[in-house]
Amino acid sequence: MQLSGKWKILSWTGALVVLLIMPLFLGKYSVFLLSLLAIYALVSLGLNLLMGYTGQIAAGHAGFLAIGAYVTAIFTANFEWLPCPVTLLLAGTISGIIGFLLGIPILRLKGFYIAMATLAFGVVVSEIILQWSSLTGGDDGFSVPAARIGGFVFDSDFKLFYLIIPVTIIMTLLAKNLVNGYIGRAFIALRESEIAAQTIGVDLAKYKTIAFAISAFYTGVAGGLFAYLITYLSPDAFTIELSIDFIAMIVIGGMGSILGSIIGAVILTGMQQMLAGLLDLQVLIFGLSLIIFMIFMPKGIVGMLSDLRERFS
Amino acid sequence: MQKLRYLSTFGLIVLVALFLTVSDVKAEVGVTDTSILVGCSNSFSGPLVYPGTQLVNNGLKGYFGYINAQGGVNGRKILTQFYDDGYKPQNAVANSKRLVEQDKVFAILASQGTGPVMATVKYLTQNKVPLLFPFQGVPLSGQKTIFTSFTPYPNQSELVVTWLVKVKGFKRIGILYQDDKYGYTFRDPGQKMLQKFGLKWVAAESYKRGAKDLSAQVAKLRKANLDAVLLVATPPPGATFLKEAHKQGWKNTRIISSGPLTDEKYINLTGGVGEGVWGLSLWPDPVHSQDPAVVEYREIMQKYGKDRDKTPNRYSLYGYFYAKLFVEGLKRAGKNVTRESFIAALEGIKDWESGMIPPVSFSGTNHLTQNSGFMVEVQQGVFRPISGWLTLKEGTLVPLK
Repeated sequence: MQLSGKWKILSWTGALVVLLIMPLFLGKYSVFLLSLLAIYALVSLGLNLLMGYTGQIAAGHAGFLAIGAYVTAIFTANFEWLPCPVTLLLAGTISGIIGFLLGIPILRLKGFYIAMATLAFGVVVSEIILQWSSLTGGDDGFSVPAARIGGFVFDSDFKLFYLIIPVTIIMTLLAKNLVNGYIGRAFIALRESEIAAQTIGVDLAKYKTIAFAISAFYTGVAGGLFAYLITYLSPDAFTIELSIDFIAMIVIGGMGSILGSIIGAVILTGMQQMLAGLLDLQVLIFGLSLIIFMIFMPKGIVGMLSDLRERFS
Repeated sequence: MQKLRYLSTFGLIVLVALFLTVSDVKAEVGVTDTSILVGCSNSFSGPLVYPGTQLVNNGLKGYFGYINAQGGVNGRKILTQFYDDGYKPQNAVANSKRLVEQDKVFAILASQGTGPVMATVKYLTQNKVPLLFPFQGVPLSGQKTIFTSFTPYPNQSELVVTWLVKVKGFKRIGILYQDDKYGYTFRDPGQKMLQKFGLKWVAAESYKRGAKDLSAQVAKLRKANLDAVLLVATPPPGATFLKEAHKQGWKNTRIISSGPLTDEKYINLTGGVGEGVWGLSLWPDPVHSQDPAVVEYREIMQKYGKDRDKTPNRYSLYGYFYAKLFVEGLKRAGKNVTRESFIAALEGIKDWESGMIPPVSFSGTNHLTQNSGFMVEVQQGVFRPISGWLTLKEGTLVPLK
């Protein structure tokens, strides 16, 4: 069943309008939480491009998030006149370049060895932040100045919402275009069979490193937004656990799906927020629900939905 | 499929909106005629889970349970709300915003961990929410709405060094420290203090966070022929150091454990090789002390403590003590309490006797609860006092009590 073009546009516009006017009816904390959800959705999207589409297991995305966050913090603190979209772009680009460089040695690795290498990358990044304290503040942490464009300062969660949500929407649309285009098809070919992909003319080295760079770019931009929203950075924020949470997001939502990335980020972050009040019980419940997800929805929520559709149509 | 997708996106957004529209209205922030709400973000998972659960479940909830059973303060029951941050600063920020904006707490009480606490300071200060007695040792002063708790780490280091030199006559003092901010807050003030006496660290060795092997450091420090070595570490490497020193047969140097190492859990980790270690204690022994106030703490914890593990310890004692101090402030602020009147009431506290630590005094410029400690020695697995309460006033040791 295909929706007609008119309906498609209408439903998307409806969703967009609801999203954009939501802060008017919500408490400050909820607006903050929505922004945080959007940031994690962006990371999850970046990770899904690499893991879900290209099949490269990456267990160090907290590292890219940290790079994006610290680049943004340092640039905002030292060059106040820089408009924040430029800073965010810089954060994404620097993170992307590092992702590209990381991708090169990883070309030689396969499967779980890639996971090991990226895991190590995440640890190295937080160690560098810790040791390079003249630049990053080390353990003292880094207090991030407010984002600004010219004279306009994003100094409240309400204002930041209107920076974070548009960036997220634009980047989601870009990702959608990307995966539907030549690059996206090359990624998927790579994931399904490297040999087959090569025989049809996909340059393995090129597309693997591109996947790393794009994924790191997305996570870097998310890191920049993260810095603006949280306003205080310290190495404690970017742990292995956080990298694992990101993987959990795309596994829950659905590997190789844009919508799945967003659903996964919303569910995982929402669940953590709801469970935070259960204190010591929350770890148990969180773990159990992950197991339940794995047993009943091995392909994630989006995978389950499409399975259901096939069964009933 | 397409329709399903759009519907589910739309449904998702509506669902999130419903999730979030939980609003409640109160006349005064966190205060009603019959209740007052306080809370914090703390560690209920992650590396500091034991301190976090003990501090909150037994300490805070235990003492407030006891007070509420007596009818509360000025006719108000004390309600609490806590969230887990797992020692992650970003979660601590989210939780604090939730406490302030959604739950509308009167104050943030006894949150834990340098990173998570520091991440919330700017936000809480801007919104004029009192941040009371966070459990961390980095000095935080100059804010009207912030009251800090125990003797800051730099002061602890100065106190111990002065005592070693002035009272024990030690000259050759060394240090093993963790190579990060925590380690430096002991190393650098200690060095300055030593310089005042014409001395310096004779040997200074460091280790990286999470190090498993300290044999090289032990060997080097041993060669330096020291009178005493300050051990600035977290419990697992601290215990490793003691075991290694024992293995290498290092006997002629006194080991002095610092900061949070003066703790029963850590001594248990060493498997009996902690005998003879000295340390600076900020609390009377929660398990063995027969001081009436500590006996009362143990009784109240047994009856009102909420954790499965009710063994007395320094973290639940911390929570208990600061819950008591909070209640004292609340009593003094009277029936018409506001955040401002509460802060004024705390600032009015002079020589408040707790029976646990030296008398507490605050003022308009001094928001530090404790700046003292006493030296202890591990004898048969228990910290026994070997000095009275001490503090430093302008560089000289002053006995207290």
